[in-house]
Amino acid sequence: MTDPILVADAIDVRFGDFQALSGFSLSVQSGTIHALIGPNGAGKTTLFNALTGVRKPSGGSIVFDGHTVTRTSAHRRVHYGMSRSFQVTALFAALTVAENLRLAVQARYAAEGWVFWRSPDRRRDIRDEVDALLADTFLTDRADTRTGDLSHGGQRSLEIGMALAGRPKLIFLDEPLAGMGIDDVHRTKGLISSLRRRMAVLLIEHNMSVVLDISDRITVMAAGRKIAEDVPAKIRTDAAVRTAYLGSTA
Amino acid sequence: MRATKRLPNLATAIVLAALVVLPFIVPATLASQIAIFATGALSVAILLGAVGLLSFGQGLYLGIGAYVCGILVRDAGMGLLSALLMATLSGAVLAGLLGSVIVRRHGVYFVMLTLAFAQMGYFAVLAFKGVTGGENGLSGLPRQFDLLGLSIADPLSMYGFMAGAFFLVFLLVQRVIASPFGSVLAAIRENESRSEALGYPVSRYKTAAVALAGAIAGLAGGLHVIFLGFVPPSDIELEMSQRLLVIALIGGIGSPGGALVGSAFYTIVSETLSEIWPRWLALIALLLIGLVLFLPGGLWSVGRRISALFERNTTHD
Repeated sequence: MTDPILVADAIDVRFGDFQALSGFSLSVQSGTIHALIGPNGAGKTTLFNALTGVRKPSGGSIVFDGHTVTRTSAHRRVHYGMSRSFQVTALFAALTVAENLRLAVQARYAAEGWVFWRSPDRRRDIRDEVDALLADTFLTDRADTRTGDLSHGGQRSLEIGMALAGRPKLIFLDEPLAGMGIDDVHRTKGLISSLRRRMAVLLIEHNMSVVLDISDRITVMAAGRKIAEDVPAKIRTDAAVRTAYLGSTA
Repeated sequence: MRATKRLPNLATAIVLAALVVLPFIVPATLASQIAIFATGALSVAILLGAVGLLSFGQGLYLGIGAYVCGILVRDAGMGLLSALLMATLSGAVLAGLLGSVIVRRHGVYFVMLTLAFAQMGYFAVLAFKGVTGGENGLSGLPRQFDLLGLSIADPLSMYGFMAGAFFLVFLLVQRVIASPFGSVLAAIRENESRSEALGYPVSRYKTAAVALAGAIAGLAGGLHVIFLGFVPPSDIELEMSQRLLVIALIGGIGSPGGALVGSAFYTIVSETLSEIWPRWLALIALLLIGLVLFLPGGLWSVGRRISALFERNTTHD
């Protein structure tokens, strides 16, 4: 097995008196899809925030691709190769779909954002990459749509496209399938599954059939702690997991 | 895509035409003031329009530009262009320094900080009477300037210079807004945390925008002093910050052309009204309320609506 791309060790996050994460450790291998599951309030999004630098942990350490990033700013981590999509869609609503993606691609070229003397259109390479991302996320025919007018499923796809634009080594997907129609779920599942050839995926998702189908490894969380971690086949039959989370439906 | 490309060219043509026609409609001295305050309003417009930052203190940078230009021209015998360059730089440096602190606060706290620094600037001017002349300002500036062999002395040549300066800044602002840098500013305006998540160092971009706006305000201050022949302390008063903000809002912040429309409107209306009624500012206030309620895009958006109407008609044909 290759070295892990991300190693989080004994992460603590607290909001006032509330201990959202306590001593949480996680290791993600490169080229795999690693899913985080658990009931609402288990601390999955909090863990994402701590790992991506949105909220600094009060304890523990995070090593990403050889860099210790525990206290590194969110935008620095992006340059190291982390990228995330958001649970609550957070796009540039007043801008077009293509412009959203262009901004995401442009962010990778640190100097390009400071260019003030010419139009952004002059960078053919960025435009070509935007076109490829539009195709990847099935949004080519909606490139000039105002993002706020896009369907919910379309916005979820664009969220993934925005994260992909960073050409990350590890992509964080926070409930990418939430609220998608059945066709969109199927296509997006295929897209996520195909990502493992290019990067590692850390996934929060409530759609259990998809998670069990595409994940290489699953970590089960409850109340800020890890209660199980294994391959999907083992998680499916794990007694503790069944009672804590999957219930009788699994 | 096509509409956004054509619109700036149309706006440029309208602004240029307006600048040429202006001295034939109003006295040249009034026209000069319109160009100067339009330049100042551009500094508010780029912050509010492009990045979504509301500054209540652009008068501070206009003020420092005014004093720097005044002192350099009067006491150091500096030429017109180099003094204006220094005024621009002083606005940029001061705004960049203060900006790096201010941009870390958001919303109302950001606004309050711009206000507080502007007030400090005014009291600093009063405190250092020896340099600034205190409440009397600085007088005794030359009334005639040389620009590459051309003499700038009479009201019309003065207007030509002011209009040229405004037009250059207008072109610069338009260019910046339509550049990759401008697109990042728009992204920050639309969703700051997402911009950060994409990897843009948001604070640095905001500081750069504040410094750019400070440079423009500093230049406007320098122009005002060249035009007046003295440095009035009112240039650094809070009322100046207010005036620039009101002009920008009246004209509309969505396009840099709005600054000229707003300035022309404000300057002409205040000139006319102040002769009729000394409390004319109350009318401006009423007008502003009406504008905010019924025409949030400002006066410039009237033209945009008309052109949108035309465009719809032509595509239907």
